[in-house]
Amino acid sequence: MEELNIAPSKIEIEALKNVVINIGGIEEEEEEWETMGPTPMPGIADLRNWDYKLLERYKPFYAPYCEMCCFCTFGKCDLTGGKKGACGLGMAAQQARFVTIACLIGCSAHTAHGRHLLRKVLKIVGDREINMGTGINIEAPLTRLITGIKPEKLSDFIPVLEYLEEQIAQLLDSTHTGQEGSNLDYESKAYHAGMLDSLGKEVADLIQIVAFDLPKGDPDAPLVEIGMGCVDESKPVILVIGHNVVPSVAVMDYMSDHGLDERIEVAGICCTAIDTTRYSQKAKIVGSIGRQLRFVRSGVADVIMVDEQCIRADILEQAKRIHAPLIATNDKALYGLVDRTNDSVDDIVAILTSGKEPGVVILDPVKAGEVAVRVVQITHEKRKELVNILTDEEFKEYVTMCQNCDANCIVACPQGLPIGEANKAAAKGDTAPLASLFDPCVGCGRCEQVCKKHIPIVDVILKASLPYVKSEKGMIRVGRGPVLDTEIRKVGAPLVLGTIPGIIAIVGCGNYPNGTKDVYRIAKEFAERKYIVVLTGCGAMDAALYRDKDGKTLYEKYPGDFDGGCVLNIGSCVSNAHIHGAAIKVAAIYARRNIRGNYAEIADYILNRVGACGVAWGAMSQKAASIASGVNRIGIPVVIGPHGWKYRRAYLGRKYVDEDWVVYDARDGSKVQIEPAPEHMLVAADTYQEAIPLIARLCFRPTDNSMGRQVKLTHYMDLSMKYLGVYPDDWHIFVRGEADLPLARKEEYLRILKEEHGWGIDLEAKKILSGPVRKMDVGFDATNLEELIKKNE
Amino acid sequence: MEIPFDIGNISGPENARVAQPEALGRAIKNAKRPLLVVGSEILDDSLIEKAIAIGKKGIPIAATAHSMKGFVDAGYTENVHLTGLHELANNIESRDWMGFDKTGGYDLVAVLGGIYYSTSQFLIALKNFATDPIVRCISIDRYYHPAARMSSGNISRKHTDEFKKMLDSVIENI
Ligand code: SF4
Ligand code: SF4
Ligand code: SF4
Repeated sequence: MEELNIAPSKIEIEALKNVVINIGGIEEEEEEWETMGPTPMPGIADLRNWDYKLLERYKPFYAPYCEMCCFCTFGKCDLTGGKKGACGLGMAAQQARFVTIACLIGCSAHTAHGRHLLRKVLKIVGDREINMGTGINIEAPLTRLITGIKPEKLSDFIPVLEYLEEQIAQLLDSTHTGQEGSNLDYESKAYHAGMLDSLGKEVADLIQIVAFDLPKGDPDAPLVEIGMGCVDESKPVILVIGHNVVPSVAVMDYMSDHGLDERIEVAGICCTAIDTTRYSQKAKIVGSIGRQLRFVRSGVADVIMVDEQCIRADILEQAKRIHAPLIATNDKALYGLVDRTNDSVDDIVAILTSGKEPGVVILDPVKAGEVAVRVVQITHEKRKELVNILTDEEFKEYVTMCQNCDANCIVACPQGLPIGEANKAAAKGDTAPLASLFDPCVGCGRCEQVCKKHIPIVDVILKASLPYVKSEKGMIRVGRGPVLDTEIRKVGAPLVLGTIPGIIAIVGCGNYPNGTKDVYRIAKEFAERKYIVVLTGCGAMDAALYRDKDGKTLYEKYPGDFDGGCVLNIGSCVSNAHIHGAAIKVAAIYARRNIRGNYAEIADYILNRVGACGVAWGAMSQKAASIASGVNRIGIPVVIGPHGWKYRRAYLGRKYVDEDWVVYDARDGSKVQIEPAPEHMLVAADTYQEAIPLIARLCFRPTDNSMGRQVKLTHYMDLSMKYLGVYPDDWHIFVRGEADLPLARKEEYLRILKEEHGWGIDLEAKKILSGPVRKMDVGFDATNLEELIKKNE
Repeated sequence: MEIPFDIGNISGPENARVAQPEALGRAIKNAKRPLLVVGSEILDDSLIEKAIAIGKKGIPIAATAHSMKGFVDAGYTENVHLTGLHELANNIESRDWMGFDKTGGYDLVAVLGGIYYSTSQFLIALKNFATDPIVRCISIDRYYHPAARMSSGNISRKHTDEFKKMLDSVIENI
């Protein structure tokens, strides 16, 4: 940074970016890198107007998961039949309150993760400068957008975290008995928690990217192995589980400092796995959360190290079962273990290798890393003789014991899997039905707790699927992190005009209706059609498990650039923030909108112009709830899988209510009736076949030009025909004129419009005479916000 | 007392009455504007034939998930309407929605062949929010659905023949 001493006078601030100005001896950092918008660090009510715009169109829809409330000692209250609880709260508001709390849990997880990271890395690497490389100027789009802060070094995130923590406390307060009574205002609060979540994620990921030098938007990020079959069992194996990479980084560092890289396997489950491979490609990824119980039960791990989030609550019991010591490294998950943070490494190693204690707490990540590496070398030798997979005899005995009673395990199984039938077939020598349960099974273990015959069902399924498990070896590109500003420059126009038909963001957990392959199918379908396919977290991992006929995984087949027809692993769950970031950068770079403290305007821009759709096909956690709410608040719709109904709330549009689909033309303030684009904000589909055309439908935007609309219509119609056997019944409402019709099918479509929808069509001239909701207008400047009308004049 | 197919799925103080197929069939018959909602599981065990038989009795069918493909393949699309389950529930709850034939809403919804847990949430949404005018829900599925008003009991997959007989009896009584 240069330094200038100038006399007080009129100065051109614009030209003086990143300059320290000394005025009369007081040193002040120049702040005017961009004009501050109306809502820096918004409080609960500051974006309520924007939320209400969304909520008027995408009305909250409730499917109570529980019809009672047991939040306070006035209860339990029966809220059915329009009854209110003792505190006056009705069913809709209670559902919305519950969603708000879920979003707050999710947002706290990401924010607390960020806070923990910052504390630890400031100690380990110091206060580093945030330099995202030559391709990225907008280093922290959400931080700039929401807080108005442009962070230059890691400690600049301190006020951002303070803002987040204060807002979380304020929001949590609003859920106390006897506070908010409006379901819509709870929804606005859930949106607020979702937005905070997005910010918390950005802070957390940028901290780890900068501190550990993870890829900074590298389209050619290296490939690493993934799958239950990729771990070399002949070596000592450290299994890391969770979401906070710091202790795993310490493991990799200790190994590398001691020349042990090739002698020890580090394998991970969940986002810690993704983030560890962003740091070191020596690590391997076992897979997503659904594989956790099965992999632990397989006994491959010689040491299990856990950090935070998405760890089985009974991990200690499972670790004991396979005689692997457990190291808990984060104060959020201590499992009743003794805190040995201040003991010497030698003592801890002795305790764990002697089996005196089944596990320990070590809150110093560097020490935990050393202990894990030293312990694993000893326990590996000791565990060599252990057999954790069922023997053939045991397997036979168990499947024969099964009475196919159908009374217990099937009703305990969240997937309703036909375990008894499969056991019966296995008893007769056919293990294929049992093996076919491996992938749709989410590895919860509920079944074996209720079996009156005490059959270890998880182990039985694992044994039957062993050949598959051993061959489960995919390839995944390590998480590349943010989208480059230079990439946005290239795709901004085609995205807004619609010629790149959309960004498909596959995120979230592994609670799929029918196994991991759905996410692969969804990603493949849209990549082939030249959408931009971005993935994070469990979705990114599960999509990597499958190969095409040439033996290539998606990450090997498609490039990792942010461009049409590419497949990008952005990173872990916290890296989701970069997907928001990409949409914000379209507004900032392509449309030159000011983003600083300007949330509503940018969300409005994204809602009306950026054809993106989130897909949380296996959404399970509270984090997934907050992630979706944050994505929705910024104007991006999300499709969830059928388990997502259990979140209790969706945001659904009603395309037949005309007044819901009126926006302003910012050029003159006139009101324009538009097509329902996008039609819903949060909606579930039951099967991937249903989801795929729905995702394509949710990529329409009012500002698509004719070419873009043609491309989007082509995909929507084709995908509906391919997966549902018919053209959709609503495609005509997206047609604004004959120029919107795909050329190859123009005549056919004109005929359908005439015959089935009664439109005025001149078939000979191939002209639409009447029928469309509106005409295509190239200069249409769609906005939902009155305040943008004058500004754009 | 019947247990929910997913054991923990007990949502409130009122649960569905387990009903005989005759009563379920009669409920559909006596409704002014009944709607059959089917899901992806009608593509298993030739259940689609039963759905088509109900369709042929003049009951409109909402084909959710990708069940539409089954009707197309079977050559029966007469009164079958493509929709998503979430979208359908939202529409049924809305006074502005005029049904698939654009002449009005429905007063009875019967579910068959949907994924258990999403159908359960569909039913509970209608139970609590499709109240003006009231829409009654019944299940003619192989699962007991506590969130419906009346439901068949759980019938295991190994007794699929029994389930089909149950459906035949429902159909006879429509
Ligand atoms: S918070 Fe209200 S609705 Fe819930 S138990 Fe207490 S009084 Fe009843
Ligand atoms: S472990 Fe698998 S089979 Fe057992 S209840 Fe859970 S999902 Fe079902
Ligand atoms: S509960 Fe046990 S005995 Fe009954 S079907 Fe399931 S595995 Fe077999």
